[in-house]
Formats: sequence, C-alpha cells, structure tokens
Amino acid sequence: MVTSGSAASVLVGKVSDVIGSIVEQAVKEPVRYIVNWGRLYALWPVHIETACCSIEFGAASGPRYDLERFGVLEAFGSLRQCDLLVVQGTITRKMVPRLKWIYEQMPEPKWVMAMGACAISGGLYIDSYNVVPGIDKFIPVDVYVPGCPPRPETLIQGFIELQNKIRKTKVR
Amino acid sequence: MEVVDQEGRTLTFSIGPQHPGSGHFRLIVKVDGDFIVDVKPDPGYVHRGAEKMCEERTYIQNIPHLERPVIFDSSGILFPYVLAVEELLGVQAPPRAQYIRIIMAELNRIISHLYWLAIYGIFLGHSTMFMWPMGDRELFIDLAEAIGGTRVTFSYFVPGGVRNDLPPGFKERALKTFSYYEKRLEEYDKIFFSNPMFLKRTQGIGVLKREDAIRLGVTGPNLRASGISSDTRKDEPYSSYETIKWDIPVRKEGDCYARSMVRFQELFDSLNIMRQALDLIPEGSVKIPMRGQIKGKVGESFARTEAARGTMFYHIISDGATHPYRVKISVPSFRSLSAMPFLLKGNHLADMPAIYWGLDYWPVEADK
Repeated sequence: MVTSGSAASVLVGKVSDVIGSIVEQAVKEPVRYIVNWGRLYALWPVHIETACCSIEFGAASGPRYDLERFGVLEAFGSLRQCDLLVVQGTITRKMVPRLKWIYEQMPEPKWVMAMGACAISGGLYIDSYNVVPGIDKFIPVDVYVPGCPPRPETLIQGFIELQNKIRKTKVR
Repeated sequence: MEVVDQEGRTLTFSIGPQHPGSGHFRLIVKVDGDFIVDVKPDPGYVHRGAEKMCEERTYIQNIPHLERPVIFDSSGILFPYVLAVEELLGVQAPPRAQYIRIIMAELNRIISHLYWLAIYGIFLGHSTMFMWPMGDRELFIDLAEAIGGTRVTFSYFVPGGVRNDLPPGFKERALKTFSYYEKRLEEYDKIFFSNPMFLKRTQGIGVLKREDAIRLGVTGPNLRASGISSDTRKDEPYSSYETIKWDIPVRKEGDCYARSMVRFQELFDSLNIMRQALDLIPEGSVKIPMRGQIKGKVGESFARTEAARGTMFYHIISDGATHPYRVKISVPSFRSLSAMPFLLKGNHLADMPAIYWGLDYWPVEADK
C-alpha cells in the first residue's frame, strides 16, 4: 500500500522534474521555447467526424471534462485556421481521399491524432471489406489514443502527450 | 464548401463531409440565390459492412460491432438483435432481465436525445444548450456505467437475458437522479424550448405533412411529430412494455418545432417508464444459463423495437450453424434520409442545419 506521503513526494518530484526541464529549455533556447509555448495551448482541431468516436470527443469538450482547460479549443469549421487533425474513428475507402485532401489543405505546423482502435489499426472492423486498417499508411500520425471508443480521460492524456511532443519540436 | 459547377442562375456545391453542419455525410445542394432548389444526399462515408461482418462472426461475437452504429443508443439498437436471436433459440429472457432491459433502453434513449439536443443547440447558435445537456448527459452515463461497466458501449444485452444484475442501491441512486433531472428539464423549457430565437428558427420550417410522412416512411419521433400515434413499444409490446403505462407524445404540426417537442416530451416519458420499471421489477435470475456455442435452429426470425430514432428492425436467417447465414438490418436513420431532400427543397439555405439535425439523422447508423 502506498502511503499518501510517499505518493505526494513522487508527485512533487515529477512536477519539479517537468518544471526543471522547462526552465532549462527556456534558458538554453529561448526562441524555440517561446514559439512552442505559443503553439502548445492553442490547438485548434479540425471539425471532422469520421465515425462513432466523435461523440466521445464531443463529451470531452463538454462541461465535465472540458478540453479547453488543457488548451485544446473547440472543433472548428475552417481548415485554414486549424493545426490539429483528430481522426475520430473508422476510415472507409470512400473517406480516405477526403482525409488526404483535408490534411493537405491544413497549414504548417500541423499534428495528427489517431483516436480509437479503428483509426489505429482498423480495430473491430479490421476484416470489413470497406474499412482501411489504420490511417498511418496515408497520413503521418503523431499520437495514437487507444480505446473503442477512448474515454475522455484517455483523450485528455493523448492531448497532453501531444503537447509534450510539441514542446520538443525544433523551430525552423 | 466547395463550388462544383456554375450554370446560369443556380449554383451547385457540396456541404460536407468536412463541414460543421454535416458530420460524416455529404449533401450536394443546388441553390438559386438563397433558396435550395435541389438536394442530393451522398451517404456512405461510414459504410463498414456490418451486415456482411455478421456472417463471419458467432452470435455472441456479433454483439459488440452491432452496437457501434449508434454508439450513444447502443442498448436500444441492440435490442431487436437479442430478441431475434432468442426467437431462433426458442428461449425468453427471465422477467427480471426484461425489466432491466427496459431500464437500460430508456437510459440510452435519454442519453441519445440529450446528445441530439446538445448538437441542435449549437446548430441553432445557442451555446448554453450545448453545455447543459452535455453536462446532464453525464449523470445518465454514470447510471448506465454502474449497470453496464463502460461509458457508452455496454455489450450488456446477451441472448437469454442480461450480463449481470443491477448494482446494489441502484434504485435510490436512480430515483435521486430522476428527481433532480426533472427540475432541470423545466429550466431547459425556459431557456431553450420557449426561447423566441428557437421558435423563430423551427416553427413552420420543414413541414412534413401526415400523408408525406407515411409515403416517405419515416419512423419514430419524426412520424409522431406529423400527427401519427405510432410507437413500437405500444403497437407490438415486447419485453414487458405492456405492463407500463404512458401516453405517446403526438404533435400535429409536422415542423422542426414539433419534432423537437416530441423528443423533449420523450425525456419525461422515459423517466416515467424507468420509475415504473423500477417499481415493477421482480426478484429472480437475470440470465438463462447457456452452455457452449449458441446454435440457432434452421429458419428465420424477425424482431422490431423502438430505438431512440425510431423503429429498429432485424431479420436473421439461420442455417443451423454457430454464426448467422444472413442478417438484415433496417435502421430508422435511413428512413429519415428519404425525407431530407423533400424537406430541404424550397427552404432557405440558412434553415439547412435546423431541418437536417431536427430529423435526428445519424450517418453512421444509416450507412451501417
């Protein structure tokens, strides 16, 4: 059994590690730090629903889970202002060309998140004649969020992983 | 939106599949100025071949993927499948399981209607009505999670009953939620359903007359909003629905307002049905014990139930093997699709979201 004291000390250790690495980066490479900081907490997801995972994305934007407190804004209609493509579920043969067009129309820098088992590998529908087994054969994927469908907590963890990834990207 | 071609006065363009007001679905719209003159729906973006997949899986393995088409009404759309399989096996669920199924199906109806209401709010430019139902929906998800174990996909109904019994103390917890939620519904009425903005955008918009509703074959709340008192739960009672008393909400107008109010009234009715089911529920087992693989007898079976969007129908043909020979699914959303071009023609383009989502069309279900 973990006592609350040791759990708290582990947490404090983790937080101080994270803060330490952030401070180190800010001192070493200030430009990179500032640019990435600007991108981190203003992720605009594209409003594209591809299958049933979209309702858990909707629930994550709702009041109980509230994605906005993590710096993920509500899904938006215009591709030209979006930098995050959340592929919400099964991609069929009919959807693949549209998904590629959407990805190509988004401005740089852009990130892709594969949400749900279907977007990762075909999932439950892997043997279906009309479903493609995973989207990473067509567009590059940054974060995979497993689940069928993923719980909003899992989705939130996926966004935090993505933000960690953005924090480490090089600025060109 | 993309411009497809331009010929004289009219302009043809497509709405979707990437568009805030369409979802995984495309409408090819021809407009003259602001008026829609022609609409061609282009479904099939989420066609996953559910019927074909049924033939390669056993009766039990079919359950998870058959509740994915409408993930927030998962028990409601799975209901006819388990009833049809039970008919093939020649068994009937024990009385306690039948009432638990009613509770689960009505919980899912509320979850589904609240999701519809949240998105309808945002379609009509009312952000509060996105937040309130989304927040209150979580209360019912919690109740369903206490029974089924997951947030949305429960795989809770199995041939011969339900997977497990109600958790201890469920009745008190549920009744507490219901009494809280009934007060919230009055606030919904004040802020949204009596709001002049909502009335202006829905009253007299997209009128589906009684004759047209019958001709186009719409079902469920859309049919009841056109003045026809039809509900599978009343017309062909299944799973002990005959012991429960409630009135079918019917409106005569047939416009978007009537369709919304029918769904709003169904929220009250579902609470009422669940209260009665919790009172009537008998003690006993919740599942008929079954050994080994389920094998249906040679023949075919049908089942029809009332899901959140309307009549859900399953036709299963069995050749005596462990997996079905053929499964035909008839979904309510596909019937709404036949009414959509009829309703959109002649209306303003700006009324498209109100009509489209007023039908509660869910593309994943229609595509199967």
